[in-house]
Amino acid sequence: MEVDYSTEAAVVEGNLRLAEIDRIISRPIEERPGKKYLLALSISSSFLLIGAICVGLTFFYGVGMWGNNQPVGWAFGIVNFVFWIGIGHAGTLISAILFLLRQKWRTGVARFAEAMTIFAVMTAGLFPIIHTGRPWLAGYLTPYPNQHGLWVNLNSPLVWDVFAVSTYFTISLLFWYIGLVPDFASLRDKTISKVKKTIYSVFSLGWRHSNRHWQHYEKAYMILAGLSTPLVLSVHSIVSFDFATSILPGWHTTIFPPYFVAGAIFSGFAMVVTVLVFVRKVFDMENIITLNHLERMNKIILATGMMVGYAYGMEFFIAWYSGVQYEQFVFINRAFGPYAWAYWTMVSCNVIFPQLFWFRKIRRSVPAMFIIVILVNVGMWFERFVIIVSSLHRDFLPSSWGMFVPTLVDLGILLGSFGLFFTLVLLFAKTLPVVSISEIKAVAPGSQPSHAGNHNE
Amino acid sequence: MLNKESGYVKKELPGNIAKIGTVFFAVGLILGTAGYFIEPVRASFSYLVAFMFLVSVGIGSLFLVALEYLAGADWSTPFRRVSEFLSSSIPLLIIFALPLIFNMNSLFHWTHTEAVAEDAVLQGKAPYLNSSFFIIRVVVIFGLWSLFYYLLSKNSRGQDSTGDQRLTKRNIVLSGIFIPLFAITATVTSVDWLMSLEPHWFSTIFGVYFFSGSVWASLAALTLIVVLLKEKGYLSQRINNDHYYSLGTLMFAFTCFWGYIAFSQYMLIWYADLPEESFWFLQRWTGGWEYFSIVLILAHFIIPFGALLSYPAKTNPRRLKFISVWILCTHYLDLYWLTMPNLNVSGFVFSWLDFVFPIGILGLIILIFNINAKKYNLIPVGDPKLQRGLDFTLH
Repeated sequence: MEVDYSTEAAVVEGNLRLAEIDRIISRPIEERPGKKYLLALSISSSFLLIGAICVGLTFFYGVGMWGNNQPVGWAFGIVNFVFWIGIGHAGTLISAILFLLRQKWRTGVARFAEAMTIFAVMTAGLFPIIHTGRPWLAGYLTPYPNQHGLWVNLNSPLVWDVFAVSTYFTISLLFWYIGLVPDFASLRDKTISKVKKTIYSVFSLGWRHSNRHWQHYEKAYMILAGLSTPLVLSVHSIVSFDFATSILPGWHTTIFPPYFVAGAIFSGFAMVVTVLVFVRKVFDMENIITLNHLERMNKIILATGMMVGYAYGMEFFIAWYSGVQYEQFVFINRAFGPYAWAYWTMVSCNVIFPQLFWFRKIRRSVPAMFIIVILVNVGMWFERFVIIVSSLHRDFLPSSWGMFVPTLVDLGILLGSFGLFFTLVLLFAKTLPVVSISEIKAVAPGSQPSHAGNHNE
Repeated sequence: MLNKESGYVKKELPGNIAKIGTVFFAVGLILGTAGYFIEPVRASFSYLVAFMFLVSVGIGSLFLVALEYLAGADWSTPFRRVSEFLSSSIPLLIIFALPLIFNMNSLFHWTHTEAVAEDAVLQGKAPYLNSSFFIIRVVVIFGLWSLFYYLLSKNSRGQDSTGDQRLTKRNIVLSGIFIPLFAITATVTSVDWLMSLEPHWFSTIFGVYFFSGSVWASLAALTLIVVLLKEKGYLSQRINNDHYYSLGTLMFAFTCFWGYIAFSQYMLIWYADLPEESFWFLQRWTGGWEYFSIVLILAHFIIPFGALLSYPAKTNPRRLKFISVWILCTHYLDLYWLTMPNLNVSGFVFSWLDFVFPIGILGLIILIFNINAKKYNLIPVGDPKLQRGLDFTLH
């Protein structure tokens, strides 16, 4: 297909009228769930149940149920934490950074991605609490003047994490909710059920679509976008500090903050594409979440994948260049030691396969992109596994070398985290508009008079 | 194919620009050469800072050109030529690198074979840090950049007369190849010319640090020239506040990006406090260098952050001109801060030479820009995205 560079592709396809947009987006909420939906929900909630049982076992018997040992004191718990926090980066990137960059196409995917952010951060937030083995003491993570005179260690990046993640979650939730307010109002005006009307009324905060409301809304949205942008970068930077402030070879390296952020966006986008491929099909939203949307997201996956690849290369080069024998050992051990399989899974899934996105045909082919993004999801999970486990398992003294093998409980909790995430995603898809109704209308063809006065010439 | 709606008519730049450029360049050349005979080592280091400034603005500008193609941006199309002209110093880099290559002995500790023989760490690095491989890298990298500069600008200029859309397509493909190559080559360049001045020190983020400053300065140079040319009526009059705002926003974003990268590098090294890393910052915290370090934080991050934060600031031409000049000076200071403490390890030493070379390099950039502006259109009149770029509005 030849591209005409003098015109911009329409964000919404199929010449949808505004009423049709309303109808398409609100239909999944109004219809009763079908068999397929219930089947999907039962699968994901079964996974959640398995996870809950494993977490229960952990709390009852202790963290000894996991494969963690000396020297591998951090393993699945932290791997999953970093993985899910990473997944939670795409939503705010799309809604905040792409908003500041005036990327109008973001409207089609922003709502769903933001919801995924919130669910991913919720999932991630559980892991440090589970990892302590004593969740009832989690309250002490927040600094507050208490009778025991206990105070958090503010020198520790783990405490910075508590602040970063909770701030990020709060702002993301607010951002998501602000965007939902006009849509709640639309749903309120549409519905005939009394119960629904009451609920939507409460959440729409008296929204009347008035000019003044929109003015305030846009200001609030802009401010929240401005606040979220540094937050997106800070969260994964601080997660990377958990590792990089230590003096452990393989963890302590200066490129970690931008490298983690790039990796987080990479994995987050991969997860968003994974889910949206189904959503647009199942909900007949192919004109709203178009192939152009998916292609653009695939381009971001390609770009961030290369950034991650750059970081892998740079780490390796500097490990050699530094002349520090421990650094050198860690990287040789990663690539050729007992966890080499994990390392090469990571490299091939994160660096090699996404290169296929250089080809327009593959970027625009749904089955091909689905396979690649699944591989990216796998690769990014393994990246965290490689960073954490392979740096720990061979300590400075060969007498403290060991291997990490996950137990069934470890695997159950991992499965459970997917169960939790997808259960929440499925519930969201049936209860709230998965695409912003008002924003889509604002970018639909013909909705915006051009200031230049030469519209539709 | 001249675009009627663009309101662009090609005008010659005033003649005194060439005069200013020539005088500056001549002053730099004559005093710099004289300085070399008086204080060869100091002059080499001083010239290295100026040379790295030329490199960073050149490749940063070429990166911006490639990024516009690859990202499919349209708002920057009406003044993409400015970045193209700024990157036209790239083919000359190899010539301007010659004085440094001939003086590698005064610049790079690792070229002293007797010092390397006594130093186990440097022996380990010898396969990478040796004179012949260094020169090969320099030639290959500058050659690659020149090639991409040549191809990208040739296609862009070719479009002026033909308006052929296939040239846009071709440049998109070229940009796709260039940007990954740029990431690697810019990193290698920063490691070779700046990091290896202290061959014991290492930092994985160093390439990103150099990149952030380089693009920041290139954006400032672009903004400064766009505002000046627009005010004097050399560019399309349809370049408006929204274009200014976008330029201001990008400078603001890169201010933050540099701050983020610089902080990451500093904080992680400070926190871990490993002697093999922290000595580099300690050098920059003694003998007067600490004032440079503090000024860098203020001038490179805090002041531009405040100056560019608000909407009116980003659309005010006077503010933009001021902050662009500020950014260019601060970027020079950043390169100075990276380079000079390796010469004056025990403390800052003043030298008049440090002012000679930047004048010469400034003259050179003006001269090259002027030559290009004479020969070619100042806006890409045949670019299919031009109309979209001129119609660009934020809302």
